[in-house]
Amino acid sequence: MATENIPPVRILRHLRPQEEWKEIIAIYLYLAGMGAGSFVIGTLVSWMGVRLDPSFLSSIDLFGYTLNVSKVPIFWGPIMVAIGAPFLILDLGIKWRFMYACLNPRTSWVARGFIILSIFIIFGLVLLAKSILPFEWLHADSALWRIPEVIALLFAFATAIYTGILLKATKSVPLWNTSLLPILFLVSALSTGSMAIILSTLGTGFFTHDAGALKVLMGGEQVLVVIEGIVLYLFLSRRYRAAEQGKDSVRLLLFGEMKMIFWGGVVLLGFIFPVVLENIASFFPGNFVLIFVAGIFLLCGGFFLRLGILHAGIKDQIPMHRLMEIQHSIMAGRTHNPRITVHESQSH
Amino acid sequence: MDEKVLVVDQQRCTGCRLCELVCSVFHTGTSNPSRARVKIVKWEDEGLYLPMACNHCEKAYCVEVCPTKACHREPENNNRVTIDKNLCIGCRTCIIACPFGHPFFDVQERVTVKCDYCDGDPQCVRFCDIQAISFRDADKTNVTKKREAALKFKASINPSR
Repeated sequence: MATENIPPVRILRHLRPQEEWKEIIAIYLYLAGMGAGSFVIGTLVSWMGVRLDPSFLSSIDLFGYTLNVSKVPIFWGPIMVAIGAPFLILDLGIKWRFMYACLNPRTSWVARGFIILSIFIIFGLVLLAKSILPFEWLHADSALWRIPEVIALLFAFATAIYTGILLKATKSVPLWNTSLLPILFLVSALSTGSMAIILSTLGTGFFTHDAGALKVLMGGEQVLVVIEGIVLYLFLSRRYRAAEQGKDSVRLLLFGEMKMIFWGGVVLLGFIFPVVLENIASFFPGNFVLIFVAGIFLLCGGFFLRLGILHAGIKDQIPMHRLMEIQHSIMAGRTHNPRITVHESQSH
Repeated sequence: MDEKVLVVDQQRCTGCRLCELVCSVFHTGTSNPSRARVKIVKWEDEGLYLPMACNHCEKAYCVEVCPTKACHREPENNNRVTIDKNLCIGCRTCIIACPFGHPFFDVQERVTVKCDYCDGDPQCVRFCDIQAISFRDADKTNVTKKREAALKFKASINPSR
């Protein structure tokens, strides 16, 4: 077995990731990303002319009003973001003080995030309401509605990217301190968002009538999953080389305590199972069970990606620590057993 | 120069943790070292103890990431970086951002707290008899090290004296 000499201080140092942001923040990042991604994909797809309106399910009666729910699969993203945003508030020490962050939008990315999410939720829900409500005075077909759609689309993009910028802005965690993280979260948001639209449209039974729309969405989603895989590889390989703690974080994620989350949750559930199941499903047109299962797996993978990256965040080494290592190497050099030999597998 | 800073001499520290005790008493009214703003990090095997306190960095990440400006710099008070407990929302972003892991979340007050030089009279300095922590003028922090270096130089050129 290969062995490696490690100075004593290095042995004392163990892979200790940050413990401040945990599952609640992962849920927040996930729902915000997925909701924003589904809105972006839904809006772009509808602009491209792909109709996802199940005509046979176009209306339901409620309190005497006929509500048009045909576009709900496209515009339901803001609801997800609205559900996710309170998770950030839940994580605060004093919850009601989140208003303080809203009142200081220019101070930090946490504060800007409150503003970005709020604008997206407001515009998104207005568009959702417009597509559902039957009132003629709304002039749902008016070209003026394109303005809020564009604004909501821009803020949906901003929301998806912001989830990565929030982590990047903390600076002292080398795993997060890269521009690839916002890109990774954006691509993941789009892939999970497109799958969320496929799943919600699947629930309406629309694809049994229009297999072409499913093909377009699935094609886009598969391309996004491949891009996400490439970005994830680039992200991890760059971070491995970036700094000592970046290397430690990647090791923790790939071979340490987080390995089940990474290999099981991210790689298997997020990439391999969906791609394999979707390819098998392509041989059985009309059978949507496999696509449904693949979709659930992919959505779980998106969550585990954020959870893994959050949990593997190890802080940068302080200058003092390097000094201590040097000091102790010198002290160890004076003893009869200057360096301790450990097995490589243990050092991981 | 008016500005003062905390200077730590880890070679003097014995790891008695009295500084943690007096810090917690001053800030919280209880002798609870887990709520102290200064922490002694120990390497018992090596016989090494390192008091870790806020460095009040010139480019403070905690100030940059604070969403409510609760974490702010006070140039009039020794240029210290301090957290206004009445503005802190407890998001803990500053804890993640600080490379020295200094601010910590006070579970009783539900806000993040950090060293504030005890409003100009640091209790850790006052009670550290062996002066492992001192509160000195910022422009005189390296005088001791200069003197030590000069003594070594003197010993090398004239070892008999």
